[in-house]
Formats: sequence, structure tokens, C-alpha cells
Amino acid sequence: MNGLKKFGSKIRIPALSISVALLVGAIFIIFTDIEVLGGLLSDPIGALSLGIGRAAASYSALFRGAFGDPENIGKALASNGDIKLWARALRPIVESVVASVPLIFVGLGVSVAFRTGIFNIGGAGQYTMGAVGGTLAALLFGAGVTPAPIAILLVMIFGVIGGAAWAFIPGYLKARVGASEVITTIMLNFIAGQFVFFLVSNFEFIQKPPRIQPVSKELSQFVDLPGILPISALRMDISIIIALLTAVAVSWFLFRSTRGFELRAAGLNLAAAKYAGIGAGTSIITAMLISGAISGLGGALVAVGTIKQLSPGIAGSVGFTAIAIALVGGTRPSGVVATALVFGLLQHGGSLMQVETSIPIEMLLFIQALVIAFIAAPELTLGILKNPFRRRPRSVAK
Amino acid sequence: MRKKKPVAAARAKTTTAAPAKRSTSVGDGADAQQQLIASRVRAGLFALFTLLSLAITSGSVGVEGKFAFWVDKVGGTDVAFSVPVVLLWAAVTVGFGAMAALQLVRGASFRWRLAIGLVSPVLVFALLARLLDGTTANLTVFFTSTLLYTVPVGIGALAGIIAERSGFLNIAVEGKLLFGAMIGSIASSITGIAIAGPIAGAIFGALVSLFLAWLGIRYKVDQIIAGTVINIGALGVTTFAYLRILQPYSEFNRPIGITPIQIPFLSDIPVIGPILFSLSPYFYIAVGLVLFFTYMIYRTRWGLRLRAAGEQPNAAGTVGIDVVKLRYRAMLVAGLLAGFAGSYIALSGTGGFGVNTSAGKGFIALAAVIFGAWNPVYAFGAALIFGMTSAATTLLSGLGVSLPPQILLSMPYIVTIIVVAGLIGRVRAPASAGRPYDQG
Repeated sequence: MNGLKKFGSKIRIPALSISVALLVGAIFIIFTDIEVLGGLLSDPIGALSLGIGRAAASYSALFRGAFGDPENIGKALASNGDIKLWARALRPIVESVVASVPLIFVGLGVSVAFRTGIFNIGGAGQYTMGAVGGTLAALLFGAGVTPAPIAILLVMIFGVIGGAAWAFIPGYLKARVGASEVITTIMLNFIAGQFVFFLVSNFEFIQKPPRIQPVSKELSQFVDLPGILPISALRMDISIIIALLTAVAVSWFLFRSTRGFELRAAGLNLAAAKYAGIGAGTSIITAMLISGAISGLGGALVAVGTIKQLSPGIAGSVGFTAIAIALVGGTRPSGVVATALVFGLLQHGGSLMQVETSIPIEMLLFIQALVIAFIAAPELTLGILKNPFRRRPRSVAK
Repeated sequence: MRKKKPVAAARAKTTTAAPAKRSTSVGDGADAQQQLIASRVRAGLFALFTLLSLAITSGSVGVEGKFAFWVDKVGGTDVAFSVPVVLLWAAVTVGFGAMAALQLVRGASFRWRLAIGLVSPVLVFALLARLLDGTTANLTVFFTSTLLYTVPVGIGALAGIIAERSGFLNIAVEGKLLFGAMIGSIASSITGIAIAGPIAGAIFGALVSLFLAWLGIRYKVDQIIAGTVINIGALGVTTFAYLRILQPYSEFNRPIGITPIQIPFLSDIPVIGPILFSLSPYFYIAVGLVLFFTYMIYRTRWGLRLRAAGEQPNAAGTVGIDVVKLRYRAMLVAGLLAGFAGSYIALSGTGGFGVNTSAGKGFIALAAVIFGAWNPVYAFGAALIFGMTSAATTLLSGLGVSLPPQILLSMPYIVTIIVVAGLIGRVRAPASAGRPYDQG
């Protein structure tokens, strides 16, 4: 009972944040509906109920897209093992988990840096460079050049190297000359995108044959990550298992190893850590290398296994989402995995919502921003819960 | 985020000592050592550039670079002329050579920023001329697009400078640009009044900026996280609103464009007129704003207080300056500027607002802030240099010259990293930018 209470207090603010953000999202859906806005003056109640109905329909689509349609699940249960029906019933939830894989990786990577007191906004760039590494490895060693398991291993190693190398630059600059990692990582994100653009539009070895679009060749011809589900129509490959193993490893590293303790100490109080003999520079560089390596591993696995192609925009909004995930998850591996799954559900559910009710999936970005704001200002969040209209006395902790 | 507080406290402690050290030890100690190293690195870099341009000079004997100007008005009579490429490159070589020599001799006191500012235009010409490969480049277009690029970046940088001078790290310029662009476009479309766009954009930018300040000051949210919230939220909200309202109901996204104006008499000057005096009014306002705020920051009581709040808020508070209020006001001004800059993006071209229409200009503005060492005029100069590379890229790709544009497009980002790293010369941010202030 005590454990349950502890768990409850731990997830109270994250859960509250996400719920409030979704609620605000619903209000946003209602008040960006031109028909609702148009009817607001002549028939407010009718217009509002129309809006609420549409918001409910959108969130229902979001739910079905995330977890699966109850109707389909019912049919599958009744069918007595019809593979096709089962595949249809399970596809949404499986795809949601697949969507959370890059989020787990980058969220973990960003968390390690956060724990060390480094605000690594470069998750997107490190992920992208990991994808570059993985793609190059697949093109070089895939398609029978080396046995499949070795090729997969090389994809992972190259991804790790790509991400770590990209993270080394801001880490080194921060440690040696104190250059703000915020600025350098933002800049490196852009450079990574341009670099991929350069690669996929200038090299015959990489670019897709007619050489018109700036995308790489189909990577599935080179390396194919083995699936883990008995139904082959569902594409869930070993990258989710690697993601979970990485989470366990990060957890062990941060909370059970000496090096991890040093990083956390440096993150809590750099001056005190220095006093205790922990090298600040080494901590920063180590943290950035690990952070980049994890993000890069994710980039390589997702580029080769899930998207099966390298393109300049491969990172999408994963860098932003990862920051939200790291903060919501309390920069704790278990929290990150759980939050990444929630965001994966939202993301895949959001795509069905976009198809069915034409609510743009970009709403999720907005929701993420709100969630980050709520998490970063717990006082604000709890204030909303208590009484939004009571002015709190201005007695900030001194 | 409660866990980050000790870090902030520790940082605050270490930095209270740092500025004092810097101010007393300009001439000696580790700082001078670092400056010396930096100036040697610069000298080495310039020498390297000299050798490179020497190699290009010797390789371009007999090549002609063809340029053209519009003499009387934009799109009017054009006068073509050609320059031997070798001459341009010889000039670049001499320039870099002189810079390397002066840098080595004069050390840290050499004004290398100014020198770069003088050489880069020639360099861009020389590059253009070398790459043109027989086609003719219209320089009027090149210059005007350079100048116009500086509008959003230069004003965005100004917004960053004012906020950071007051001690509030402003990485949310990008988000405010996006909001300013969208609101500007909508306001202009609905009202049908051209001036409504910039005004609405500025006001909305100010509101967003105040929200950011409120998160950072009232709730002491880490300023970087608060800025990230704005950037993500801006991308989400504007894209959402675009796809949901502006695209299906395009009457909300048909702003009255703010077209270039012909300044009487001045625009009739041959060659210079079409380049300098036939531009969007935004450009002239931008120049005015930069000059005005340079004066304000360095020559007025407000500016002194602003800088005090950004460097030593505790000391400023002790002598009776209301740091919190000052920061809110600075953020208000920064928001007005950034929103105004954003409205330019939607109102200057055709087609109004588009998804992610600012395309990272807010981050380039941050780069300009750093490159310009938190000085509005220098930052504007940096924006001009970035604008030149962007204009060159556009020009070359329009002429079908094959050059990977990605390298040129990455230049602002690479330059920023080099500058932040202090490798070619240390720039120092306002000491307390990014730290919450406790009014005890």
C-alpha cells in the first residue's frame, strides 16, 4: 500500500500535466473550428455542442488509433485465431509501440545528459548522425557482404559512433572552453540535416537510383532487422528489445555504477563534485558521449529497420519530443520508457485522428510544449489543480 | 526540474567571482594567455585563407566573371560588365595576407571583426565570379536579397540582444518569429489594412514574450526549457492553425503585401538607387531600430540599468533597480521586435504564412547575436554576412551552377559554433543571462 502511494505521488504531476494538456488540446480543437466559431454568436449552445462532439470524435479516433478499434478486437477474439483479423486488431497498438522506439532511445540519451546538468538539445542531430552511420553500415556491409547478424551489429556500432561523434563536439567544447551546449547543439542539429541532404543528393552510392529525390536507397534490400511477432504482417522488430535493454543498462549505469554516480553528482552540484575529486570536464564529455551514442543507436535502428531509408528530415520532431519525455519521465529510465510509450500511443493515435477527422497531428507538438511547461513549473500545475482563481501570495522560496 | 536548482545555485556562485576576475586581469593571467592563443589561431587561419586564395588566384587566370546591374530601376535597363576573376582573387589574397600579418603583429588588439566585415564582400564576389562559369549574375538582385535577408535575422537578433542584456536568455526568437508571421498574415488578411499585419504580429510577439518571461521569472522555470516550450509550442500551434484554418479557408491567409517603396530622388541615383533606396520599408525600419537601440543600450540610463541587470542583478537590485520589472519590460520590447520581424516573413513575399515559414531564421538570429558579441550593430553586420551567403546560394542555384548549397547553407551554424567555442576570439555573454533573479 505504501509502495502504491509512493508510485501515485510520483506520477501525479506527469499524469496531471498530460491530462490538462489534452484538455487544452480539446479546447483548441473546438475553437479552431470555423463552423463552431461562426455559430457561436447566433446559437452558442448548438455551436458548442457541435464543437464538443467533434472534439470527442477526434479523441475517439486518437484512442482507436493508439490502442486499436474495440470492434476489430472483438471480431478477432470471436474468430478463433484468424491471423488476418488478429493482425488488423493488433496493428494500431503494435504501431504505437514501434513509434515509441525512437522516443525511448532519444529520451534516454537526453536524460543522461540532463542528469549530468547538461541541456543537450541536440538529440535530433545525434539521432540523425546515428541514422547516417547505420545507413552507411547497411550499404557497405549489408546485402550479403557480411552475414546478416554481423551486418546488424555493424549497423548498431556505426550508429553509436555517428551519434557519439556528433555529441562529442558540444561536449568537448563545453568541457574545454565552456561553450554553451544549448547553442552548439541547436546549430549541430541544423548542420546534421544539411549534411544528410548533402550525402543523399551527391553520392551515387547512397542516393536512390533515378537520383532525383534527396533520399537514400531502400535499406531493406541491404539489411533487414528480424521481426519478433509471430504475425508477419505486424512490423515490430528487435529494436524495441534493444531499446528496453538500453533502458536497463542506462538505469544500471546511472544508479549502480561509480561513473554514473559521478555524473549525477556533477549534475547536482558541479562545484561540490569538483571538490570531491570528480573531474567536471570528463563528466561532461562522458555524459555527452553516452547521450549521443544512445540517440545514435536509435537513429541507426529506426533508419534501417523501421523507416528503411535515410532522408534529411529523418529526425522529425523527435528531438523536441525527447526533451518532453525526459522531463516528464523525471530523467529516470523507467519513467522515460513509460512516457515514451504514452507519447508513442499519442503519435500513432494522432495519425488516425488526422486521417479520420482532419485534426492535424501537429497538435501533439503543442501538447508537448504544454506538458513541458507544466512539468517544469510544478507550482503552476498544482496551482491549477487547487484553485485557478486564488492568487497565491508572492512568497517564493528564499 | 527541481533537481536542477542546485546546479543553478552552484553556477551562480561560481560566476559571481568570474566577472571580477575578468575585469581586473585584462592585461595578465590566464585570460590574456587565452586571448593570445586565440589571436594566434586567427592569424594562422587567415594565413591559411591567404594560401587558399593564392592557389585559386593562380588557377583563375583568364577567367571572366560576368555581372550586371539594373541602372535606373528594379527590372529596368541593365548594364553588364565583366571582371577578370584573377583580379578579384588577388584582392582577396592581399586582404587575407594583410589580416594575417596585422593579426600576428598587433595580437589581441587587432579589430578582426571589422576586417572580416571588409573582406567578406570581396570574397563573396570572388567566389561568385569563379563559380558563375560564363553565366551573368544580376548584382542588384543579389544585393537586395542580401539586404532583405537581414530584416528578420537582424531584428530577431536585436530582440535576442535586448532580452539577454537584461539577463533573460532568449532562445525563443524562432517561436516568436513564427507567431508574428502567422498573426501578421491573419490580421492583414482580415482587416485588409497593410499596416495591421506588422502591428498585430508585434503585439502577439510581445504577448508570447511576456508569457515566456512569466514562466521564467514568476515560476523560475529554467529559461532554456521555457524557451524550448515556446519554440515547440509555436511550431505546433502555427502548423495546426495553418492546416486547420488558413489552408482550407485561404481568405485568412491572403495578406496585403508590404511592397518595396521608392524613396523620392534617392531611388533615382543610378546603380545605388535600385539597390539601397527601393527596398521594403521593413529594411529602413530595421536599420532605424538597430541604431535606436544601440543608442539606448550604450548611451542612456535605461541601457545602463538593462546591462547592470544582465551582468550583476544583485548589485543592480541593491542600488534600487527593480530587476524583475526591468526584465519584464525588456522581454516586452524583445517580443514586439521579434513579432514584428516575423510579420516580415509572411508579408514581404507572396503567399502569406506557410508551415514553419521562418525556417530556422530565429536560430540564425541567435548566431548573429553571438557573432556580434551582443552589440546590435555588429549583430546586424553578422546578419548581413549570413544574408550574403544565403543570397549567393539562391543566386547560384537559380543560375544552375552546380555547387552543393548545403555547405553554404551550413555556414552560419558552423561559424556560430566556432565563435561560441572562443577559438577565434572570445565573446562573453551577459554574465547573468539565463539565471533567475531572487528579489530577496
